[in-house]
Amino acid sequence: MANTQTMTAEMPMTETPKFLSGAQAIMQCLVENNVKTIFGYPGGAIMPTYDALYDYQDRIKHILVRHEQGAGHAAQGYARMTGRAGVAMVTSGPGATNLMTPIADALLDSTPMVCLVGQVKANLLGTDAFQECDIIGMSMPVTKWNYQITDADEIPEIMAKAFYIAESGRPGPVLLDITRTAQADIMTKPFFYKPCSEIVSYRPRYIPKQSQVEEAAKLINAAQKPYIFAGHGILIAKAQEELDEFARKTGIPVATTLLGMSALPHNHPNYIGWLGMHGNYGANVLTDEADLIIAIGMRFDDRVTGDLSKFITQAKIVHIDIDPAEINKNVKANAPVVGDAKEALKALLPLVKERKHIEWLAEFKRYDEIEFEKVSKRDLFHDGDQIKMGEAVALLSKKTKGEAVTVTDVGQHQMIVNRYYEYMKPNSLVTSGGAGTMGFALPAAFGAKVGAPDREVIALIGDGGFQMTIQELGTIAQSGLPVKIIILNNNFLGMVRQWQQLFFDNRYSFVELQNPDFIAITKGFGIDAHKVSDRAELSAELDKMLAATTPYLLEIVCEKEENVFPMVPAGMSVASIRLE
Amino acid sequence: MTTYTLSIFTTNTIGLLNRITIIFTRRRLNIESLTVCETERKGVSRFTIVLRHESREAVEKLVRQIRKVVDVLAVFGYLDHEIVFNEIALFKLATPLGGTPLNIKEINLDWNAKVVHWGLDYVVIEKNGTEAEIAEFYQYMKNWEILEYLKSGRVAVGKTEKGLVEYLPEADWETV
Repeated sequence: MANTQTMTAEMPMTETPKFLSGAQAIMQCLVENNVKTIFGYPGGAIMPTYDALYDYQDRIKHILVRHEQGAGHAAQGYARMTGRAGVAMVTSGPGATNLMTPIADALLDSTPMVCLVGQVKANLLGTDAFQECDIIGMSMPVTKWNYQITDADEIPEIMAKAFYIAESGRPGPVLLDITRTAQADIMTKPFFYKPCSEIVSYRPRYIPKQSQVEEAAKLINAAQKPYIFAGHGILIAKAQEELDEFARKTGIPVATTLLGMSALPHNHPNYIGWLGMHGNYGANVLTDEADLIIAIGMRFDDRVTGDLSKFITQAKIVHIDIDPAEINKNVKANAPVVGDAKEALKALLPLVKERKHIEWLAEFKRYDEIEFEKVSKRDLFHDGDQIKMGEAVALLSKKTKGEAVTVTDVGQHQMIVNRYYEYMKPNSLVTSGGAGTMGFALPAAFGAKVGAPDREVIALIGDGGFQMTIQELGTIAQSGLPVKIIILNNNFLGMVRQWQQLFFDNRYSFVELQNPDFIAITKGFGIDAHKVSDRAELSAELDKMLAATTPYLLEIVCEKEENVFPMVPAGMSVASIRLE
Repeated sequence: MTTYTLSIFTTNTIGLLNRITIIFTRRRLNIESLTVCETERKGVSRFTIVLRHESREAVEKLVRQIRKVVDVLAVFGYLDHEIVFNEIALFKLATPLGGTPLNIKEINLDWNAKVVHWGLDYVVIEKNGTEAEIAEFYQYMKNWEILEYLKSGRVAVGKTEKGLVEYLPEADWETV
């Protein structure tokens, strides 16, 4: 804070200047970083910082969650909407361990996050003190960077570094373990905050090397059946316009990954669907027909590649990623381009030829027709009594014009949302992709709403995942924010049940749930809740939910033993995709 | 199996050793030897890690993962012929009254080792060399009763005219 320093400098030399405490410095750093909202839960070792927060309530909005995991996922949802690091603040020991799942989730899904974690007093470190836990050791494998602060004077520099590391390059979670001593001690010098813009040992490359770009352009111009895989990197780099321009100019079909969803609007002429285990038929199968793959900001996750030894063996690969460790990690690239997706596409645009791939695009359409006949039709237009997840999502998509932010949990409903929600706006899906964290959606949807208050945010959750973080209904109720929650209830841990049915000989091992009365529980939290099981009433109930200006939960009772197709069985080649 | 030597330059940070070794652990790679020391640049540490692996590709992936660590400045992977390398071994031998006398001349001249400490009933012999040379010397040492034997990890420098300053050219590193 520059003015603190100025104030100090203007004081008469004879007076001892009053310096900030470590805890005040933490607050001041948040203000300097333009952090408006933090998610947290107080406890012993973080109390000095909560005490400082008391005086900062006018500048920093703190949201009290009901469990530290909720703070982490809310921070993730917030980050995914804003592109800025979400901040979670918790106490030591169990407070910190409860944050581990969101941190691991954020690392896998490249979500910027700064976790401020209390730690016991410095003199108690290593003594098995009350609520002491080696959180630096524990979080090491799941953080982009972590650091233990033991000295109040370090705070401004380390906080600046934390935000810079979390948000730059390939974003990720950063954890700061702050001893109670460092929070309580008074700094020995005036507070001075300088944003970090460079670390000598960490230099992410944004602008790609021209030679790499030229090599990639050469392959792109020579290809007959090129195919773009657009990943989360497009959305992180805010490169959707460049992708759109690139696709239109080159005429190349574009599929997205799960996390790349909404990088192109659903009705884009080049958009042909999504890749992966439950992705589209053509999008998966035609990976074997392409002669060039242009992978942008994606990491060839095993849920995309299936059996790696059989994955795109015939095609050359251009791999664009900001993280050099992703190049050649799973799939060998013929032309790697290390750089930011936006910068790489900008550099490529003038070098690629204007082309049309009408025949090639039509091939995808042919597969779409088969998929529609065998899968979608059954999901959307059936005459059964029970509501299918697919029709509920498709109806929601229509009613929201594909413009809502959908936040999903993990399992069948997650895949169904991606199949049937037709995204028209970029950055509209918040989901736990890499980690597959059940319980993610409710707190993440709340965080997303805080980050994007002007957008309609709808959480879609299965009955299993909902019960993992159900307590965050309290957080939502207290905030009053109109988060819409849809429970797609089939009374089963559906995805596991589906696997047990298909691959474990129908041996349903512990997947059936005796669920509580979700409506009564939600109402108990003070949130309006309704249940629909009659297909005829679904549309009206969705309208009611969308019209609500307060938090609202709609439980949709779905067909019990519905399966999600297409499906590439785990570990098999994408060609072995099943439609039924 | 090929032996690879990694030279890893890092900022001197607490916990960094752990951050690097978990990358090995997660990939089920065994560290054959590990040496950490300060360098001629202030605040820069150097890790020398030896591992054996049949796949160069796997080692290259490992190197990229280590480079990704925020506090790591640079990582180089070497094959044995690309480096000058050495280890130090210490042998504590029992020399009881009436035992086989040591042939100091042979130890010094033929084996290029030396006695660094004379105890009452024992001696400590130091031998510098490659793993193979030390292993050979170990066989010779077995002519006496070995009370204790240990050796350090490998230290290695690349066979290039480049110095550390050229690896870290951007930074204004202070020399120690």
